[in-house]
Amino acid sequence: MKLKEIERTAAQAWSPANNHPIYLATGTSAQQLDASFSTNATLEIFEVDFRDPSLDLKQKGTLPASNRFHKLIWGNFGNGSPESSGVIIGGGDNGVLTMYSVHRILASKSEPVIGQTEKHSGPVRALDFNPFQSNLLASGANDSEIFIWDLNNFSVPMTPGAKSQPHEDISVVSWNRQVQHILSSAHPSGKAVVWDLRKNEPIIKVSDHSNRMHCSGMAWHPEVATQLVLSSEDDRLPVIQIWDLRFATSPLSQLEGHTRGVLSVSWCQADPELLLSSAKDNRILCWNPNMGEVVYELPIRSQWCFDVQWCPRNPSVFSAATFDGWINIYSVMGGNLEAQQKTQADKISSSFNNLDPFGTGQILPPLQVPEQVAQTTLIPPLKKPPKWIRRPVGVSFAFGGKLITFGLTKAPGQQMQQTYPHQVFISQVTTETEFLLRSRELQMALQSGNLLDYCQGKIQTAKLPFDENLWNFLKVNLEQESRSKLLKLLGYSKEDLQKKITSCLSNGIPDKQPLPEANETNAAQPDQLLINSSDAVAAVSSSAFFDNLIPQNISTLEIPVTEDTDGLISQALLLGNFESAVELCMQAERFADAIILAIAGGENLLRETQKHYFAKQKTKLSVLLSSIVQQKWQDIVCTCNLQSWKEALAILLTYSKHEDYTQLCDMLGARLESEGDAGLSNDACLCYISSGNVERLVECWVKNHETSSPLALQDLIEKVMVLNRSIEMLQGTAGPAPGPVLAERITQYASLLASQGCLAAAMDYLPRSSKELLIEQLRDRLFHAQGANVGDQQPPPFPYTRVNVGVIKHTSPAAKGGSAPEGAASKTGPRHPEKPNYQSSFAPSAPSQPSVPSLFTPQPVPAMSMTPHHVTPPQASTGPQTGVYSRGSPYPQYNLGLVPAAISGQAVSQSQPFGPSGVRPVGPAPFPSQPSLPGQSMPMTSSGVPPPGPTVFTPASVPSSQLPAACPLPVASQSPLGFSSAPFNCPMNMGYPQGGPGAPSTKPLPAASIPPPPTAAQESWTDPSAIRGGLQKKKKTRRKLEDALQRLECLYEKLREQALSPAILMGLHEIARCVEARNYQQGLLVHTQVVSSSSFSEVSGFMPILKVLMTIAGKLNV
Amino acid sequence: LPPQVSVINTVDTSHEDMIHDAQMDYYGTRLATCSSDRSVKIFDVRNGGQILIADLRGHEGPVWQVAWAHPMYGNILASCSYDRKVIVWKEENGTWEKTYEYTGHDSSVNSVCWAPHDYGLILACGSSDGAISLLSYTGDGQWEVKKISNAHTIGCNAVSWAPAVVPGSLIEQPSGQKPNYIKRFASGGCDNLVKIWKEEDGQWKEEQKLEAHSDWVRDVAWAPSIGLPTSTIASCSQDGRVFIWTCDDASGNSWSPKLLHKFNDVVWHVSWSITANILAVSGGDNKVTLWKESVDGLWACISDVNKGQGGVSAITEGQQNEQ
Repeated sequence: MKLKEIERTAAQAWSPANNHPIYLATGTSAQQLDASFSTNATLEIFEVDFRDPSLDLKQKGTLPASNRFHKLIWGNFGNGSPESSGVIIGGGDNGVLTMYSVHRILASKSEPVIGQTEKHSGPVRALDFNPFQSNLLASGANDSEIFIWDLNNFSVPMTPGAKSQPHEDISVVSWNRQVQHILSSAHPSGKAVVWDLRKNEPIIKVSDHSNRMHCSGMAWHPEVATQLVLSSEDDRLPVIQIWDLRFATSPLSQLEGHTRGVLSVSWCQADPELLLSSAKDNRILCWNPNMGEVVYELPIRSQWCFDVQWCPRNPSVFSAATFDGWINIYSVMGGNLEAQQKTQADKISSSFNNLDPFGTGQILPPLQVPEQVAQTTLIPPLKKPPKWIRRPVGVSFAFGGKLITFGLTKAPGQQMQQTYPHQVFISQVTTETEFLLRSRELQMALQSGNLLDYCQGKIQTAKLPFDENLWNFLKVNLEQESRSKLLKLLGYSKEDLQKKITSCLSNGIPDKQPLPEANETNAAQPDQLLINSSDAVAAVSSSAFFDNLIPQNISTLEIPVTEDTDGLISQALLLGNFESAVELCMQAERFADAIILAIAGGENLLRETQKHYFAKQKTKLSVLLSSIVQQKWQDIVCTCNLQSWKEALAILLTYSKHEDYTQLCDMLGARLESEGDAGLSNDACLCYISSGNVERLVECWVKNHETSSPLALQDLIEKVMVLNRSIEMLQGTAGPAPGPVLAERITQYASLLASQGCLAAAMDYLPRSSKELLIEQLRDRLFHAQGANVGDQQPPPFPYTRVNVGVIKHTSPAAKGGSAPEGAASKTGPRHPEKPNYQSSFAPSAPSQPSVPSLFTPQPVPAMSMTPHHVTPPQASTGPQTGVYSRGSPYPQYNLGLVPAAISGQAVSQSQPFGPSGVRPVGPAPFPSQPSLPGQSMPMTSSGVPPPGPTVFTPASVPSSQLPAACPLPVASQSPLGFSSAPFNCPMNMGYPQGGPGAPSTKPLPAASIPPPPTAAQESWTDPSAIRGGLQKKKKTRRKLEDALQRLECLYEKLREQALSPAILMGLHEIARCVEARNYQQGLLVHTQVVSSSSFSEVSGFMPILKVLMTIAGKLNV
Repeated sequence: LPPQVSVINTVDTSHEDMIHDAQMDYYGTRLATCSSDRSVKIFDVRNGGQILIADLRGHEGPVWQVAWAHPMYGNILASCSYDRKVIVWKEENGTWEKTYEYTGHDSSVNSVCWAPHDYGLILACGSSDGAISLLSYTGDGQWEVKKISNAHTIGCNAVSWAPAVVPGSLIEQPSGQKPNYIKRFASGGCDNLVKIWKEEDGQWKEEQKLEAHSDWVRDVAWAPSIGLPTSTIASCSQDGRVFIWTCDDASGNSWSPKLLHKFNDVVWHVSWSITANILAVSGGDNKVTLWKESVDGLWACISDVNKGQGGVSAITEGQQNEQ
């Protein structure tokens, strides 16, 4: 395929291989005249620019020359200087050798000729630069004259030795491509002489003695030092001979294809298997000299091509100079000739138009140009793929940080007969080592459930105070009594405050309350005392303190009925007119009296009175008081000075109901965040942590922190995962599906893990419930990428719409595919499309709870029917399951093996006294500070409700209340089994925002349906509310019981964490049985045994309170 | 801590001649290789295994490249060869067969690359005849061909698609609405150019001509999108240079090159990691190097993989400063 053309009758020379851009130099040919008979000579330099699709060459420099050229050659000499492009040497008539500076020609500078000599006696037809030393030039002329020139000293040449006899022209000189001191010369007589310049003599003469060789061309093998080719111009022997000097008696082989004498050969330096030749048969052929076959024939035939040359830099390109006055540049890679071919004949003719050089008035007859071969549009490329197109090495990345490499294992240079390695290497690339380290730490912490230590470590290593603070918040979220601990973090400790108040009171300055929490101190105090006491005795004695407060000294009663305020109030009271009495008090600014009366007058009156009071009183504190008493938490959040956000958060922590808490915290966070201040945004993060709003935390975080680097992302994910876990522990279920911002980060994180080869870990992080497309796509990819490691798991749904390619042969979509992953998919069992999460959410969590079986085995079969349902591993796909599902259980993830009998009313009634209480959940917890307010929210205070019987069991509550028995013990993991831990938070003043994050899944549940504890032991211990039923009037005992609930939480926590030894568990079960049998004496005995046989630290958190409970229960005989 | 590159599987392909390409499928569970022995082979390499699944014969010349289609189209592999053909192979019931053969090129087809799956099943093919063909599957066994003639004079060596994700948005498109993707791909050729092509009104137009190389561009690799607005292309050349081209503006007009390194030998391949933060470079010096951009925008060699040993050696200052 022709690439470029220029109309010149000229000798040609390519710029050297290292030159960029590529140039072609032309110098007017000697011994050829055009019709002008001009003898002028020009040296031109053209840029060969393949970016330009046109056939034109761009002339970059031109220079009139003193002589026409037999030979041109371009060398690297002087290329050390940056502006040099080497030198062009021209061999002319009369023995003239001229050296041109390419740079000067290109820059049109003066004195482009930098050297000239006339040492040769005749026309210089042969020139070659030494490939190793750019200053060495060989030239050959008439009379066997060969000179070696040092361009640094152009005046005095050397000779390679004595002239060979008989004297004849030198057609070609050529330096060996491997050995720098070896030169050869070729002679028209057909012989070639090889010179060793070190010995200064010819070392071998090559001749086939046929006497018909007429050497027109010669070339050394580009890689094999001992081989060369000679071409014969003789029409009787139009061959190319390949010689090996090691067997120099006859040619190694002979390339026969041309029908007339060969004019020129050129051996491709980039591929020794490609040798070009041009001949008088007008053909240009490319040979594979090894195979002796023609691998390419230029489809265009024109005039004789007297010189053919591979382009040194662009290996698929060569130039051909023809006697008809054109230099063409072709590619051997084939292509399409359409619209590219210019009709040369027209051009040639046109160059003679109106040309009448002799002034004869006669126009020259048309030149007989040989007919061109009929154009074929398709030109095939070289039959043999050229070496330069064969990629010998390669690398590619694949999913999961895999790197695929292949290729040469030998050093380049050992080219011949190379055997190619057939291995392909798959490597694992891990680049983010620190990231992986930290990621593993996080995973271990998440799997072991030991997040407190993890947080502690983070707190200790935190570099920024903010970071430390954040980790403190996260840690506290994982702990019991998180609310009070959060308060401490905010700088408000109940204990400290109590001390302050105590000292304040004892000093007799009951003047000002330093802190808003003062209001609740009285209520909080006994709690604190209870909490701090380590045994039941202390608890009892502290309660006595309150009992002592109640009795008061009452003097003789006098009832004034005067007309003054006192009297009017008395009269109003006598008539039961509280409203008026309060009004009177208010008017008289006797606020205390007013409030006391209002309490007696009922709820509405009290509220009205409070309102009036706050309307009248305008002090610094009054707004706070008003908001707190009227429970206007939203006002506080919306109006507080943002600098006081901590105080606002403290109020929320102290007062707000669980269902409001989250929202209020988020509102506060949003206010802080909207300020746009980085510091406040950080504080907003703390609010979101307090509320457990993961998505908002992430949204806020990414606004102020970059998360693109692996470690920065790790920073964020650590926090998210810990917060998520605390929510899971709280709710017992996996949190809500992540929102888009978090999903994006998690996907990013999982992708990053995957890119480091941690496929399983990446899979673990992807939220199972998420329907985000990106997550589903990544999950699909991770699943299949793990190959057989995934075991029996079912593949996730394919997150793309399948497209069938090819003519559809099978109608059934199931029949198609059959790839390995899909095949694996088809092997697995039928799917449950309505609950796609079940399998995946259960199975992966199994390994993380290895102790489950051991916890089960020691559990004795309960004698009492309290837990008639056995612990059944959830594999069995039994009938009742479907029954459960059809009920529309809000927990579709549960697929646990329920024993149908367990739902029988009989079982429930048997357990009546301690049956799961329907009223349990909404305890006094949310209102620790308002025990005296009419507590509608405290069901057990409303009446002496007997322990709830079967009627309390609504159908909805049945499945869930039965669940725990079928569950393994709760573990701290994402497992749905963790759900069972949820109810324990409810009755307690645990401080967890119970309606908090993930509320969507739990809110719609009626309180009664929250599942009870998972084991018989727990079942029994959650029953103080039942005991409470008959005790509501006895505040002392009630407080004890409230405290007991908190203490029990400690027990539940331990059960959840599986932190208890089997011996203790056995003991607990035993105690539970005793309690169920109301045999408290026996229970206390067992209790003593357990305490005495266990380590104190293990049981101190909950055993004392069990004793207290049993003691109380025994006394009350419930 | 240094990065680690450890060989986890050595697949003996039993190819009888030079291997020219080896590509893993979307999931990284199957390896396709091709060779001058005219065959394409597929191995199951899950869990360190190497089970020959298919030995595909159909090309009549060296097979230069293979490319896996996205799995949503089934198990589809494209191969291109010196025999001027492009073959699309498909697995049907465990058997791999030719599903389409394209013979529209006049010279060696050097590169094949599937478009992002979002566009449909489209294959770009670059040939030594200078043209680039775009083969689009139109359904029921039919393919539509668009051809860019004379894309690169003397030949096109590599094609690589731009990721489909619109920069800056990882959020799912509203369902049912087919987003209006701007389709682009890059190509590199024997004219030393990297070109960027853009589809406008169904026609492919040359959008950019990136000039920096002084010799054949051997490979181009458009970096996967990681949600940043920057587009990145790596190109490597016969001249030993590897350039990283970046474009920050959405219009795609201002590309600027940064020299990653000048090697002493031809650089044959560049490949981005899936997360686009590591560039693997394979050169004629028989070395594979991994490069990573530092925070200050400088590219540093993070490891130097010796094939067959998988060893990693620290890069010395001298090597890094070679450029």
